[in-house]
Amino acid sequence: MLELCEWLESTAVGVLVRESAYGFPTVVAFHIMGLMLSVGMLIWFDLRLLGLVMTKTRVSDLYRRLAPYIVCGFVIMFSSGLILFTGFAVAAYGNVYFRVKMAAMVIAGVNALVFHFATERSIASWDALPGPPLPARIAGLTSAVVWMVAILSGRLMSYTMF
Amino acid sequence: MLTASLSAIHLLGFTLVTGGALLTNLRFVGVLLAKQPLNDVTRPATRGIAVGLAISVTTGALLFSTRAIAAAENRIFQVKMSLLVAAVIFHFAVQRRFARAAGPEGVMVRASGVLGLGVWLGLALAGCAFILLE
Repeated sequence: MLELCEWLESTAVGVLVRESAYGFPTVVAFHIMGLMLSVGMLIWFDLRLLGLVMTKTRVSDLYRRLAPYIVCGFVIMFSSGLILFTGFAVAAYGNVYFRVKMAAMVIAGVNALVFHFATERSIASWDALPGPPLPARIAGLTSAVVWMVAILSGRLMSYTMF
Repeated sequence: MLTASLSAIHLLGFTLVTGGALLTNLRFVGVLLAKQPLNDVTRPATRGIAVGLAISVTTGALLFSTRAIAAAENRIFQVKMSLLVAAVIFHFAVQRRFARAAGPEGVMVRASGVLGLGVWLGLALAGCAFILLE
């Protein structure tokens, strides 16, 4: 794993991120701005799942409307994140906050899969309800908490990596 | 480590504020949740913005206090603060009034959405520029 990180750092992209005067700030800016599209919008779906906001809107409707922004946001996050990782793979790999962030994202992914393949199957019966059933609420709460952890640890990374 | 923690929490606030601002202004422009009454979207979004601002402004003020003079003299920081004031006034004093008004949504509503997007995006970019270029 560490050898892979060292190889990544030696690639042209990795060198560019580390040595270009405006390369690093630009990629980080994309990464931060992507936050508002990804988690910034996703949190509103999580809050709907918890039955706290926009309860007159159907859950599936809200999801369909927010999804393009959320997907676009995560594409920006993952690509800019991958580029940043390429530049500082070794330091990131050894950083505890990076590992917490990756774990949080894995949990977020599993949570989303469970929601979409299991919980969502019964959505016809609770779509219009202001208060979704417990599994949906748990999915919403898990998502909100896990992404908060990802954001916090992501920022703490930059203070402890260099 | 205190600065790091404050900065991390500041970013949480940023996510809440900008998410709420995007939700509101995309609705005002008429491209997101256009069938929902304006206030049905603006009311929860405003709460999100308010909570996010409470977090961001508190952590921001604490971060500022550690290097007040340098920050105050920084052009990018001045732009960021100006945009913050403009965005907050615009949202709470102007757009909320539009949201509560009855009747059809005219061109003023859409125009305010475009303006709102510009101001909040500008604020977000100024924030990025401040931490990345200072």
